[in-house]
Amino acid sequence: MNPFSSLPIVSHKLRNLLKTLGEILYGATVYEMVRDLHKERASLEHMFTLVVFGDLLGVPILPPYYTLRLLPYVVPNITGWRRSMLRERDLTDLCDQEIT
Amino acid sequence: MNAVITLIIGFLGIAVGYGVYARSIDKNIMQPDDKKATPAKMYMDGVDFTPANRNVLFGYQFKSIAALGPIVGPIVAVRWGWLPALLWIIVGTFFIGWVQDYSSIMLGVREDGQSFGALSYRLVSPRARTILLTFIYFYLLLIMGAFGKIVGYDLMSNPAVPIGVLLVILIGLLAGQMTYKWKMDIILTSLVTVVLAFVGIWIGTLSGVQSLLTAINGSPDTTVFGSVTWAQFFWSLVVLVICYFGAVLPIWRWAQPINYVAFWIVFLGILGGTIGLLIWHPAFPADFPAFTNWNGDLCAATDCSGVEKTVGAMGPLWPLLFVTIACGAISGWHSLVSSSGTARQLEKESDALYVGGGAMFLEMFLAVLSLLTAVVGVGVTRGFAGYVSLVAAGKNAGVFAVGLSEMMSHIGIPVSFGLPYGSVFLTLMALTIMYLVVRFMRVASAEFLGDSIPLFKNTTFGTLVALALSALFIWTGFWARIWILFGGANQLMASLALLLVTLWLKSNGKKYLWTLIPFAFMFVTTIYALLLTAYKVLSTLSGLPVDKFVGNILAGVIAIYLVAAALILGWDAFKAFRRPGAEAKVEA
Repeated sequence: MNPFSSLPIVSHKLRNLLKTLGEILYGATVYEMVRDLHKERASLEHMFTLVVFGDLLGVPILPPYYTLRLLPYVVPNITGWRRSMLRERDLTDLCDQEIT
Repeated sequence: MNAVITLIIGFLGIAVGYGVYARSIDKNIMQPDDKKATPAKMYMDGVDFTPANRNVLFGYQFKSIAALGPIVGPIVAVRWGWLPALLWIIVGTFFIGWVQDYSSIMLGVREDGQSFGALSYRLVSPRARTILLTFIYFYLLLIMGAFGKIVGYDLMSNPAVPIGVLLVILIGLLAGQMTYKWKMDIILTSLVTVVLAFVGIWIGTLSGVQSLLTAINGSPDTTVFGSVTWAQFFWSLVVLVICYFGAVLPIWRWAQPINYVAFWIVFLGILGGTIGLLIWHPAFPADFPAFTNWNGDLCAATDCSGVEKTVGAMGPLWPLLFVTIACGAISGWHSLVSSSGTARQLEKESDALYVGGGAMFLEMFLAVLSLLTAVVGVGVTRGFAGYVSLVAAGKNAGVFAVGLSEMMSHIGIPVSFGLPYGSVFLTLMALTIMYLVVRFMRVASAEFLGDSIPLFKNTTFGTLVALALSALFIWTGFWARIWILFGGANQLMASLALLLVTLWLKSNGKKYLWTLIPFAFMFVTTIYALLLTAYKVLSTLSGLPVDKFVGNILAGVIAIYLVAAALILGWDAFKAFRRPGAEAKVEA
């Protein structure tokens, strides 16, 4: 039996292990920074959608002409946006950070 | 007993707990189904609901739950001896800790990612949500008191520490500038800032710098008011100023990059300490008792005649040990992180056990390591008497720094550097949490009081009020009592989390004893601990200096409030449990 036949398997497993460790380290370090940036961007987008399409939530905004021009780009996100804007929130929603 | 054997016992606890008990609960009771869409996929909005890879989420969950709690708790609990502390860490995690974290994630996932506030309202009673919010607020205040005392009184008063801490903070700001403004590569940024941080810690150890700080600290007999010395007052004030900036500046400018650099200091310290311990593999010192006595009275267990300050008894092992070690065995904050953060990012239901349970078992390992810093790190080099004198001097954090430096010395890091490194490590760990707490308290006060007193919506005013309340807790009272109250508020939140899961399991026709029994145990234990603390602080008021007097009154009032709120919660839970469905009947 060739003693080197199992080498590819070992190297594959080692690669997987290193990848896993890398992902865990990413989760513990940079992920939160990336997530905060995503949150920031999404919040601004939601704010913009609210200003332009606020009538969809019952906010008394008369839709301007540009609303129609923007509509095709906003349609895919409307369901998620409405849910996010109307979701009930309280202080426990903020508890996703390291405090203990 | 050998330190490595203790680590092996810890690993066995993880293997059996995670591999057998947790898997069996996951498979037979919760029955995760990967075909079901999780809230992260169903409601993806890029803000709260975003699916993430399981390994990434594991790292995120671990970082979110593991901070100062699992490090300081075990060191304090050694007052009852190392064996009760070790047993509670392992057994508590095995039967309660992972149960709470994992089931909170599953509850969040199965209930559309709802937060615990909304779930308390629906499953227990409308006022349960209000009680939960007050638990959280007191918990935050007590964190500020407990951590503020550790940093301001213990760590920063050491002349070798402050310059290292302040330089690391400046280097953290540089990391933010490099990442967000100069758009530099994150690996290069990490390398440059971490190396600079090490240099910063080294600068703090230089004798000239230490002489300057010794002069600033002044005489240890100079008191500002009550028993608060000038050094304690000054460094606590510096801590509060740091917290102010952390709370009002944009998160990317201050909190985030400093936390990032601090993470590497902490991570490398834990890694170095673990490797050093494995190389060293010392036996437990013969004079370090496995069990001291029921009351955790160190002076009854050893001769305290050589100790400068008196060290009082902690109180009965049950219930106080079980709130002294909160994080590391079970912590209520984890359930909030799990439900509000992790449950909304879970890609598949089957990832919940790996992320929630796995991270909790890893935290258990951190708590065991921390216990070993006291028992072998300090015990082997300075003996049990060394531990007692550090505790008597109020240097619980100092115990960890001494222990870690001894462990790291076995990988070639000199104790002269390892000791301040361990102190900076702990200070940063506490500070990175404290400014997030102040930030949180500011938002909480705006939410609670903003409508009736609009001034609370002002960022600066809200922050200053939070800092003033924090200062009150830092500059008054006894640290050990504040720590017990902090653990008590935390464990009451844990009880509520376990209660919510029990009610949810019952309403879904699933077996619930595996959460009901831990709930009952934690609920009764915590209430008893809080009652004992209230009695102790209010019955010993006479003859105290003004700061201790005020602190004891504050601690007593908070303990009584927490007990009363918990009893109301218990009554509502009893009524909810007896309902045919578990949903609370909410008046329209």
